[in-house]
Amino acid sequence: MDYFFEKEVENNARGRVEAEEKVTGKAKYSAEYDIPELAHAVMVGSTIAAGRILNIDIANAKEAPGVIDILTHNNRPTVPGIATEEAWKKSRFSLPVFHTDKIYYNEQPIAMVIAETLEDATYAASLVTADYEESEFETNFKEERDSVETIETKEEKGSRENWQNADHIIEREFKIAMEVHNPMEPHATIADWKNGELTLYDKSQNVYGVQGNIAKLFDISENNIRVISEFVGGGFGSGLLVWPNTVVAIMASQHLNRPVKVVLTRPQMFTSVGHRPESWQRFKIGADKSGKFLGCYHQAKHATSSHTGHTDNITGLTWKHYHFPNIKTEQEEIPLNIPKPTWMRGPGDASGAFAIESIVDELCEKLDMDPVEVRLMNLSETDSQGKPWSTNYLNECLKIGAEKIGWNKNRKSKPGELKEGEWNIGYGMAVGFWNAGRQDADASIEMKPNGDIIVRSAMTDIGTGTGTAMQNMAHNFLGIPKNKIAIELGDSDLPYAPSQGGSWGLSSLSGGVAAACKSLKTKLVDLAYGSKFEKGKGNLKLVKLNSDGISMEDDSLEPVSYKSIFDKNNLGVLNVKASSSPREEAKKYGFCSSAAHYVKLKVNKLTGDIKILEMVSVADGGKIINDQAAANQVIGAAIGGIGMALMEKQDIDHNHGRLIGNDLAGYHFPCNADAPIIDVSFIDKPDYNRNPAGAKGLGEVGIIGCAAAITNAIYNATGKRMRDLPVTPDKILMA
Amino acid sequence: MKTEASNTYSRRFFIKSSSAFTTLAFIPNSVKSFFYQVKEKFFVKKQKIPLSVSINNKEYRLDVDTRTTLLDLLRENIGLTGTKKGCDHGQCGACTVHIDGERRLSCLTLTAMIPGKEITTIEGLAKDGKLHPMQEAFIENDGFQCGYCTPGQIMSAVACVQEGHTGSTEEIKEFMSGNLCRCAAYNGITRAIQKVAP
Repeated sequence: MDYFFEKEVENNARGRVEAEEKVTGKAKYSAEYDIPELAHAVMVGSTIAAGRILNIDIANAKEAPGVIDILTHNNRPTVPGIATEEAWKKSRFSLPVFHTDKIYYNEQPIAMVIAETLEDATYAASLVTADYEESEFETNFKEERDSVETIETKEEKGSRENWQNADHIIEREFKIAMEVHNPMEPHATIADWKNGELTLYDKSQNVYGVQGNIAKLFDISENNIRVISEFVGGGFGSGLLVWPNTVVAIMASQHLNRPVKVVLTRPQMFTSVGHRPESWQRFKIGADKSGKFLGCYHQAKHATSSHTGHTDNITGLTWKHYHFPNIKTEQEEIPLNIPKPTWMRGPGDASGAFAIESIVDELCEKLDMDPVEVRLMNLSETDSQGKPWSTNYLNECLKIGAEKIGWNKNRKSKPGELKEGEWNIGYGMAVGFWNAGRQDADASIEMKPNGDIIVRSAMTDIGTGTGTAMQNMAHNFLGIPKNKIAIELGDSDLPYAPSQGGSWGLSSLSGGVAAACKSLKTKLVDLAYGSKFEKGKGNLKLVKLNSDGISMEDDSLEPVSYKSIFDKNNLGVLNVKASSSPREEAKKYGFCSSAAHYVKLKVNKLTGDIKILEMVSVADGGKIINDQAAANQVIGAAIGGIGMALMEKQDIDHNHGRLIGNDLAGYHFPCNADAPIIDVSFIDKPDYNRNPAGAKGLGEVGIIGCAAAITNAIYNATGKRMRDLPVTPDKILMA
Repeated sequence: MKTEASNTYSRRFFIKSSSAFTTLAFIPNSVKSFFYQVKEKFFVKKQKIPLSVSINNKEYRLDVDTRTTLLDLLRENIGLTGTKKGCDHGQCGACTVHIDGERRLSCLTLTAMIPGKEITTIEGLAKDGKLHPMQEAFIENDGFQCGYCTPGQIMSAVACVQEGHTGSTEEIKEFMSGNLCRCAAYNGITRAIQKVAP
């Protein structure tokens, strides 16, 4: 293998590169940049779910103190990409914001007040009113669900006839409520359009994506747009797309020739930046007496917005982690007058896993077999195209997790046998699985004569530890001590990086960093040794960079200090930049990350309260670049799984077509006391076919399967099957 | 039994059969203007008052909009953006500061309420360039991911220790539950507090 970096990435980092900025309050998030002449803007939403604006009354608002202007569809500057119905459809932007009198959903932005202070803008926004012509609307997924048939998502594998006489067949329906990302930082944009140059401080998981999309929508050159997202206060998918709040901030800045800040209110966070759509699934599974799966038929429907689509690939997972000789999957979306849904942590697969992992548990009971054993015997040895897994350690995850929670020792296979006063205790488990992707990514390195380097990439850090991973990788690829490695990221002026989503961030970025490190070594070797290094034959792996200079591990050449290299060549700084792509050879393999989740919980017989007592997640994320940050991420995902299973539900009042309780008092996700200390561990074996660091993404597998592990444990505790998320106490009592 | 009746008055029927205008459109203009007059009367007009406040042992003399919360004063007026706005409604704890040494939500505190009180924000926690032990513990135990709730978590954590609510893991978790973390770095937060607790 001519692969350059085979050295294992070190595993010992403590503390993140940006840690001090975060604990002292110095870290600047999008809304926190101090820009002279900044104006504050507050959006006004529609009060109907569908129809047309007849008139917007802004007279009172305009007279309020401090108001600079009010944008509506009547006076906004034209944005070419959404100027006409045709342009909008072509741009595929989520909403022709302020370019239509049509109302597609409740709280759709219809106006924006721009004022000198936040207080002025907030007050004036409360004075804007509108008259509407209301039309019929539909927000009720349950009511509309049956009106649409599911359509095949992929060519059927085998045939349903092949297993119609299987020893065991189970068919069940599953429901999951609408969930909302709710990162702690509300989405915010500061737009500053001056002399044809646009600077955006934007909460985003994809600075180049914002740059490209805004360039298209406004018909300006990407070169004139700079997007900065240095610190991002969480995303979970809400920051992958460009949303209307960014576009209206730019419109306002263009209109007023002043920098303008728009920060979403928490209630607006529920209607403006996506959600996980409400879904319904029907899953039919067949197995023989020995527990071998014979076939499955998986149907799914989910809500979407009527004005613009979104597909959650709920049936995708069905093709991946288990071997089914016969598979049929069907899906359809139900258009409603609701805000646009989008990808939310473990998109599609988190929903699909609830159905699959729940029904497998039911099947195991019918088979009278252990759920861990049945899973182990049905794991797929290839991906859905028949390619062998490059690495897949799900079997090890399953075994280690079982050992850690005492599955064989503590769990009773019959439900309701473990009791403690008025509580029933239960154990449950399930698995998570995710395609381990990789995209193109660039990186650059700047070296100073004293050997200090700056590693740069446009990749954002939404909390996963991107910068720390870059530092760890650069240290391990080069040898330069970590305290001499600075990191810059989250800026479209920096080398290209894809979005930080789909668990491919680190996987992609490691390619860029490795390539840039190789370039730096090559250049330094050339400057220090020239032809002495025997170009082509010289082994770069033996080249070591330390604090002061370059040397050869085998001492074949004299060490040379950076200073003398820089002096000799009259260099101020040394810059290298490199690109990376997934390797050709990678096409031979399937790539996956996986996890096994084990739960111990108790359910109160009288109140239906559920308390999670223990949670063990064992994940295969390839080589772990930073064990602390990686564990933190999986802990967070597991707790996200607790939210999905037991709490998270956004309600809609279908009489008015409005979300209700859309704030952090109404929408519950886990607080500190809702979760136990989560036990996370890793297989920690590299997959060098995937990328030079051997790392596979971890963002999604931590949540996928968690909800089923919890409902399976609830069954084990109570004998009640919960197939409708979230499982609130009332559902336990009524079951 | 009453299916016929309920069908007749379903929402769908109502919308189809009504002239499809919202109620607002039916309100006569005279009533609307009366409503605005009432609103004008009862809403306090924009008003600025001179205040002297003490934040992180520094005196600020300010002309403050009476509607300004302590949170917006910090973030928008005096450049202390370390205190975070997560919900603006006292539901998430991201804006937690110390008022006279006790943890308080700055989004539910009007600036006009604080003269004579000592405010400490995350920026005032480190002393003489040395991080507070809780800040060190958060770094060491990776008590955050995105970092947005972190200043509020740390201010709460310092108070939690001072209040003596660190007797057990469960007690810490209970008394730190007013500070939401969507990344759910709760393991690290709890461990950091245990590290600092007596």
